[in-house]
Amino acid sequence: MKMEEVSVSSLDNSKLEGLAQDILSDLVEDACLGLCFDVHRAVKQGYFFLDETDQESMRDFEIVDQPGLDVFGQVFNQWKNKECVCPNCNRSIAASRFAPHLEKCLGMGRNSSRIANRRIVTGNTTTTTNNNNTNNNKSESDQEDNDDVNDNDWSYGAEKKAKKRKSEKNPNSPRRSKSFKHKSSLMGPRRRMENQESPCMLMKEETFPQ
Amino acid sequence: MRTRNLFTKGTECSPADPLPQRQIMSKDSQMRAAINHKLIEMGERDRLKELLRAKLVECGWKDQLKAHCKDVIREKGLEHVTVEDLVTEVTPKGRALVPDSVKKELLQRIRAFLAQHATL
Repeated sequence: MKMEEVSVSSLDNSKLEGLAQDILSDLVEDACLGLCFDVHRAVKQGYFFLDETDQESMRDFEIVDQPGLDVFGQVFNQWKNKECVCPNCNRSIAASRFAPHLEKCLGMGRNSSRIANRRIVTGNTTTTTNNNNTNNNKSESDQEDNDDVNDNDWSYGAEKKAKKRKSEKNPNSPRRSKSFKHKSSLMGPRRRMENQESPCMLMKEETFPQ
Repeated sequence: MRTRNLFTKGTECSPADPLPQRQIMSKDSQMRAAINHKLIEMGERDRLKELLRAKLVECGWKDQLKAHCKDVIREKGLEHVTVEDLVTEVTPKGRALVPDSVKKELLQRIRAFLAQHATL
């Protein structure tokens, strides 16, 4: 649509303003209509009043709006500042760190055996020197705490690293039984790395070495 | 196409003469139509629409209006409510309930667009 030359200077500001208001009014009307259509469809399809149940449960689960509480009525940060005394090492630990600490301290967590084995292999001096028991204990738990970061059970990329470590801690490693599981199952990813032949060939020729 | 005829009709008027009222208005509406066309073409209208929707939800307008819809529906009866009912009852209230901050922000954007594209 060709237009004659219209420059801003020839247009009143009031005209532009009026035009802007009209455009806004159109947009608002679109929004209103959109809402009406949505509501009407919800009514006809029967899901409009779905969020309302009986009065009693609506009162029970009403949103809480008081200072210091979340919408469920729970107190925020309630246990953050509390400290617990560990029954094993008698240290005072922060509540949020208590469970992991107890795991390591009692030697019962997932990582505890791994850490113990690692320490055996690297010949940690904590068992031989009795100089400063409390200091050694601290470094012990700190090492264990850092272990969480290095935990990489399920990354195939790190398998090569895991393989190296496996040879180090071979006698006591808990992973030993896992590798047997892989061998007996069909096609573990490690198999392909060891055997350069094509997969189909392997299927025919393998005799399940144990 | 019609506007061309309007202009050729008044061949007695040369560009120097003041245009009759009817032609001034058509010039206006022509400009408005052109701007609206440009608004749609450049996707700006859709963006503005989305912006408006988001702001209205944020400020609670949608919930307010939905509550009003509930009242209307209960009044008219769930089975018999029609789109016209809802539109006539809800739209005026909807227009009134839009908060000024939202209006301001959208007007700002529209004015910016007009400043950029009202010149040819």
